Amino acid sequence: MKKIKVTIMTLAILLSIGSAFATRMHFDSKPPLLYYWDGHEFLPAGTYGVDFVCVVSTTACTYTLVNGVYTPYQLGAYVAVDAHKPSKNK
Amino acid sequence: MLLLSSFHSGNIPFLQIAREVIAALLIMLFLYAGLSKWLDFRTFIGEMNNQPFPKGLIPFLVWAIPSLEITIVIALVIERTRMVGLYTSFVFMTLFTTYASAILLHFFAYIPCSCGGLIRRLSWRQHLVFNFFFVILSITGIILQHRKSSKINLITKNSFV
Repeated sequence: MKKIKVTIMTLAILLSIGSAFATRMHFDSKPPLLYYWDGHEFLPAGTYGVDFVCVVSTTACTYTLVNGVYTPYQLGAYVAVDAHKPSKNK
Repeated sequence: MLLLSSFHSGNIPFLQIAREVIAALLIMLFLYAGLSKWLDFRTFIGEMNNQPFPKGLIPFLVWAIPSLEITIVIALVIERTRMVGLYTSFVFMTLFTTYASAILLHFFAYIPCSCGGLIRRLSWRQHLVFNFFFVILSITGIILQHRKSSKINLITKNSFV
């Protein structure tokens, strides 16, 4: 039983460490320059989570510029981070 | 092979294997979740800023959540602390499930993105089902671990009689 237990635990640990590193390599590639559509034109979006967030929506939150064409990058609705902070006047 | 042959000969009780598999699944979940947060810490901070928590809590949560996840893994690996690990993972997963439910019920002013490693690809509804599965798994693990402890206690008591 001890051998089986060690085998199961080793497999679980190796699999999770491996997948954490594998997905990191995928997501950690240099993020492209992001833009958002303000209703009139495309503007630089800034850094995700710092300057803006994407709230759930079926529209495109941000775009990337690929060969002169703005291509949807993240799903959701663009919201500047300041918009989440409660207004002082309220 | 070893597992199959042992099963065949009836040496290993099914429940003993089930207990190990449940612990292994929880270890995989928490180790993957904790590690992927630390490996991509900047993205994780961004994702946490996206959540409807008070902004003052974020610096604490970005360290506390992955640290707690890794602590649960250590507790689950060590046999002596496994029960603590199972209870903590149950509480942790119940909290996540409650949070996902609150988001789906429009409890907060806005619906944030559902992020986190490979799991970031899931929608909030899928997150809810995923979390609920691990809550059930933790409960099953606790029940099986309790059975084992009571069996050991019975054997110890009988050996003294």
